Amino acid sequence: MGMETNWAAEQLQTIRTLMERSAVYRRALAPIMLFAGTVGVLAAATGFLCHFDSPDAFGCMWVVAAMFAFSGVVLISRRQAFKAKEPFWSPPADRVVQAMLPSWLAGLIAVSVFRFLAVNDPQLFWWLPPIWMVLYGLALYGAGFFMPRGIRLLGWCFLLSGLAALVILAIKSMSGPLPPLIYAHYLMGFFFGVLHLAYGAYLYLTEKGKNAA
Amino acid sequence: MNPEPFLQLNRVIHEKGRLAIMSMLAASPELSFTELRDALAMTDGNLTTHIRALQQEGYVAVAKSYQNNRPLTTCSLTAAGRKAFAEYINLLEQIIRQTRSK
Repeated sequence: MGMETNWAAEQLQTIRTLMERSAVYRRALAPIMLFAGTVGVLAAATGFLCHFDSPDAFGCMWVVAAMFAFSGVVLISRRQAFKAKEPFWSPPADRVVQAMLPSWLAGLIAVSVFRFLAVNDPQLFWWLPPIWMVLYGLALYGAGFFMPRGIRLLGWCFLLSGLAALVILAIKSMSGPLPPLIYAHYLMGFFFGVLHLAYGAYLYLTEKGKNAA
Repeated sequence: MNPEPFLQLNRVIHEKGRLAIMSMLAASPELSFTELRDALAMTDGNLTTHIRALQQEGYVAVAKSYQNNRPLTTCSLTAAGRKAFAEYINLLEQIIRQTRSK
């Protein structure tokens, strides 16, 4: 009898593990990516046109842009969940947020740290965009284990581009002063704007009509 | 209460491979053949055989479509499949409850 109980308990545990592994976050990502990309491009254009070239203005604007993008993503996901008559805060959503949270927090802390470091040398703020790219890449890569496979690839794109940007910055800074901070908006706009838009457009074209929950 | 819930376990679902397929499909609206194959580390032939067995029992529905001009086979649990799976879980829980109360 004891063996039977153990067997049944093990069987239930196996079922639970398999069910958890299967529960992948499947909200339609195309609108989410397109929204995040649009915010990225608009933020970069605003930063460039309004000459946000001081560390304070640069940091504040991009933190606000990130928060705005995050709020929009939450609203889009919530609307999708509502339409599909499913809970918004599902176990896969919980896992995705947990996977991304450490990198998001590290990104926020990085702004604060660089804010103090850049008091005497505003050029130091140039290091922030590549660091954000690396952290965001890690966040996407981690979340990619609970999402469709393409997300991990996007994570790698951010991670490798961020690392490449760090190397280029290091080489540049050794050979002379870095360009004015206002050009960092280009870097941000390209990666957090255009790359999201490109991925969103790819998803939209390839997964059209497949709004699985 | 039946004294032998173990004997009542659905033999179709009870097989290890088929139980794994049913478990994965129970947690997801649908899964592609490739996703199931990769997640369960099964061969194409093995997975096809199990899915066919579940399909014959009316537990799994298979849909064929195209994505990016490539054929896409997706599987999902039918209402009968969900019911049979729920009953299977209930019986497992019953086995545990009965043996613990003795």
